[in-house]
Order: sequence, then C-alpha cells, then structure tokens
Amino acid sequence: MSMAAPPSPVLALQARDVRKSFVSGRVRSSVLHDLSLDVYAGELTLISGPSGCGKSTLLAILSGLQPPDAGRVSALGESLDGLDRHALERFRLRHTGFVFQGFNLFPALNALEQVELPLSYLGLGKDEARRRAAAALEEVGLGPRTHLRPAELSGGEKQRVAIARAVAKRPELLFADEPTSALDAANGQTVIDILHTIARTHGTTVLCVSHDPRLVAHADRVLAMEDGRILSDRRLEPAPAPAKENLP
Amino acid sequence: MVALARKTLRYEWRRFLPAILAVGFAGLLQLLQAALVLGIFGSASIYITGSTAQLWAGYPGSQSVSLGRPIDQDVAMRLRMDPAVSKVEPFDWVDGDWRGARGGGISVFVCGIDTAPDAMMFARVLSPALRERLKEPDAVIVDQADIGSLGVHVGDSARINGRLVRVVGVSHGLRALGGVNVLASLDTARTLDNDPDDEGRMIFYVAGLHNPSQAGAVARRLNGASTFGPYAVWTARDFARRSQMYWILDTGAGAGVLFLAGIVFLVGAVITSQTLVAAVVGSIREYATLNALGVGMGPLRRIVMEQAFWVGAIGLLGSVLLGLLLFALARSHDVPIALDPLAALACLALGMALAIVSGLAAMRSLRRADPASLLR
Repeated sequence: MSMAAPPSPVLALQARDVRKSFVSGRVRSSVLHDLSLDVYAGELTLISGPSGCGKSTLLAILSGLQPPDAGRVSALGESLDGLDRHALERFRLRHTGFVFQGFNLFPALNALEQVELPLSYLGLGKDEARRRAAAALEEVGLGPRTHLRPAELSGGEKQRVAIARAVAKRPELLFADEPTSALDAANGQTVIDILHTIARTHGTTVLCVSHDPRLVAHADRVLAMEDGRILSDRRLEPAPAPAKENLP
Repeated sequence: MVALARKTLRYEWRRFLPAILAVGFAGLLQLLQAALVLGIFGSASIYITGSTAQLWAGYPGSQSVSLGRPIDQDVAMRLRMDPAVSKVEPFDWVDGDWRGARGGGISVFVCGIDTAPDAMMFARVLSPALRERLKEPDAVIVDQADIGSLGVHVGDSARINGRLVRVVGVSHGLRALGGVNVLASLDTARTLDNDPDDEGRMIFYVAGLHNPSQAGAVARRLNGASTFGPYAVWTARDFARRSQMYWILDTGAGAGVLFLAGIVFLVGAVITSQTLVAAVVGSIREYATLNALGVGMGPLRRIVMEQAFWVGAIGLLGSVLLGLLLFALARSHDVPIALDPLAALACLALGMALAIVSGLAAMRSLRRADPASLLR
C-alpha cells in the first residue's frame, strides 16, 4: 500500500487496517482489504475508481455512517471505534457535512428552509440559523433564489442547496459522494469550484468520492482505488502547503 | 425550528389526503352512530327529560319508565310531607291496544298526565294550549311521527282498549321506543285502564323541589322509608340515565356500537397508517440525509408523529363540520339524534387515537432511513 507523505501535520481522518465485507445470500464479498489511509485537514482529497471498488464504503466508514468489520478509524483526533449510534449521530451533527449524488431535498421546503432545518437541531436560535442559512446560500451563489422550492430549481441549483445545507453547520469535515455525476458539464464545474473554495477558504477537510475526471484537476490529492485497495496516491497542486508530486 | 411536518402536509396534501379522509370518516361514523344510539334510546327517557320534575317515585327496581309497576297512592302523601318538595303530580301509564278507522291493532302507551297549566309532566314538549285540550273527556294527543302508523288526523276518532277516544292534537318529539305514545288526561287514562288491580294505585309520582340542586339529597332521604309500601325515588337525571342504559344494554345496541366502533377504528387505522407509511417512505432519502447530518432518530420520529397529529386534527375538523351539517339535516327530518359533549369528545378522542396509532406504525418505517444507503 502506498501512502502520500504528509505535507501538513494536521491529521483529519485516519483509517488503520480497515476491513469490510458484505454478505448477499450465501456469498460473502470483501469490499475493503486491510486499508489504511490518512486524510489531512484543509485539503480536498479525491477518491476515484471504478464503481464497485469500495470507495463509497470507505467514505461511509470514514464519516461514521457505517462501522468497519475490523480496523480502527479516528476523525479529528477522536476514535470512532465502538461508538454507539447516538454517539455517532452526535459526532456527525457537530463535525460533518454530507453531499450526496441525489440532492435529497424536501419538496415542501424552500432553499432557505432546507439549509435552516439541520441548523435548528444544532441548538442555534431561529435568527442565527436563518442568518447562517442565508450566508451559506449566498456563498454557493443562490442568494437571490432562497425562496424557491426544489421543483423550481435546476439540478445544479439543487446540488448547490444541498452543499449549502452541508456547510452551513460549519463542519470541519465535508463528505461528498459523486456530487457531480447527476449534473451537466457547466453545473458540474460550478459544484467543483464551490467544493474547492470551501476547502480553501474555510479550511474544511473535503473528502470526495467520484469517478468524474473533471474533479481531478481541482483536488489537492487524488487517491485511485480498485478492488478495495488504494492503488495510487498523488498530490496535484502546491497548495495549501508546499508539496511535491508523490507517486508510488 | 422549520415546521417540516406542517409544510410537508400542506405542500403534499394529496399524498396525505387518504389518511385525512380515513380519520375524518372514522370520526364522522363514530359521531353519527353515537348520536343515533343516544337519540333512539334517549326516547326511552323522553318522559323524564321532557318533564320538569326533579324526582321520580316508582316501583323499586323499575329499569325504565315503560317498565313501571303500580305503587300505592299514599306515596304521594309521603312525598308531600317532605319540606323540600314543592309539588307532587301523578303519572299514569296504561298499555293500550289502538284500533283506528283502518282497523288492525297497534300497541300504544297511554300517558296519563295532569292537565293543570303548570303541570310538570311533558312541560318541555307540550304547549299549555295543547295540554288544555286534554281536559275534554276521552281526548288524546298523538305524536307527529306516529300519525302515519296510527292512520289518524286531528279530529278523528279511534278505540283504545275498546273505548272510544278522539285525537285533539299533535305533539312533536314524543316518539316512543317500541311503541307509540298517546297522551291523555289522568281521568281519561284511568277509564282506559282495564286492569282492576290498578284501582287506587298509580304507576309513578313525580315531584318538584323548592331547590332543584337538592334533588340527590332529597331522593336519598325519601328512599329510607317503607311505611307506604314498596317504592323507590330517583332523581330525574338518574332515572333518565337508568332508562337509557337499560335499553342500550337490553337490546344489545351497546355491544353493537362497540363492535362497530372497533371495526371503524381498525379500518381507519389500516388506511391511515398505510398512507403515513407511504409518506415516510416517499421522503426516506431526505430523512436519511438529515440523519447523516446528525439529526437523531428521535427528532425524525417526532416529525412523523406531528404529521399524524395534524392528519388527525384536520380529519376530525372535517368530521365535526360534516357532522353538524348531517345533524341539522337529521333534525329537520325527525330522525332521533342526540349527542352530549362527553360522547362527542369520546368519539373525537377515538379518532385522534386512530391517527396516533397510525403514526406509531409509520414511525417504524423510519428504520429504513439508513444514510449509508445514500452512498451509491
């Protein structure tokens, strides 16, 4: 297994010897094979690979949505091993944002309410939640369209609402699963730019799973996966810390 | 807090409509059946509720007015002796066989009442002018609802127990249970009574009190003695309820009502829960996304329960409005209906319970909101 040398010392996510397999019928298929990985804070890390390579499973395990069968996972210096569902929910509420391939917006709510909804569970006051939601929508370029419902928004706009919903909590970790695959070229580009900006300006650790080649150019680091293993680990840009091309 | 439950209900009302209709119709059915049963069996106590007397004295154990047995006339004296009692009035009951111009016998209940203008019996349903007409010998009054079955009009003659009577008026709201009420003066009723055993005896005595609020205490006091032969005293309220309950239980209507209520509840709950489950499943990806963002299952369940509550509230509002409309319609067609606030509240509570139970059932399908399933 090849690992990139850490250019920045702050570790956001760490996986050690993570193993995961699924049982379907009487067949047990192994998805992740003793995988180890470090993800650094403030970077946009892209995991790419063919479908079925285990990248989404890796995302689910690193984000605390699913426990691994074996191995250790820690996020933001906190071990996720053995945490019960409530503890994992609390961790996700405080620290993580998610963007999925589908936008998963409530049809009845307008853009502002979509973003406001999870904020109200953080214990924020109504005014503060509204202010933050409006700011997040402004940031993704939907300032003037906050009062529209999903049915009145384009696919790209819906994904931008979903991103605003994920980042309005100001999470340290942002997980994105195929965020551009349901979008056309222009909208895909917009979403990529936004994710990139979020990592740059907020210092958010963005872990993105995608097979969209357009994303590669915007990532700080690209991991290629196949058959439950990381095949390559490349660093692409000299930002945020001085870095060098790091090929296996 | 974003009112997700209410906003979704309003925006996707078509999706929730079956549940709202199910709760609404379940509530309406419960209300109507309760009103009908109470209305029909309420006529068993119309003698009591239609009168202004506060106390009823009759044979001990009488379950209903129609099942009274003769008591000694001295009981009237005993009632008058009590300082709380302001006046006492006899009420006679004669089972009769009515033969009108068309022939054929009809079973009637002849109610012998005082014809004084301030008499208590049927004071609430009989106008003083109508009562005045009973003073004529052999005069009777029949109810509007029975005109057809008796085959008479005002001024016609008929025979009761073989004796000629004349219809002098028509009353309203005196429909009887299991027979036909015919009003007559005490004297006329006496002449229609063929039973020699009833001589010198009366079926009921009713009493008015100086202070109606003392009815319970006075009834207890009067029940103590047995010097005047067997008799018992009830407050009008107790006796009316006793009559109604007797009929509801004796006819099996009570069991029927409960059975139907159970069926309505079950059918309503099945439709409502299925609709709510479909609504939850329809939004399962959105719920899963909220869970991924850290919103716990508890708050998500609350959203579903809130939806169930609003479905119940809207549905029951519909039942109340439609119920009022149907009640007005029934009243205008002489259909016996009556609903007290307690029974109405019980029906509505049952409707809300239906919605809540359905919500609990729908809540279970939230378990499918697994955020890991969104990663594909």
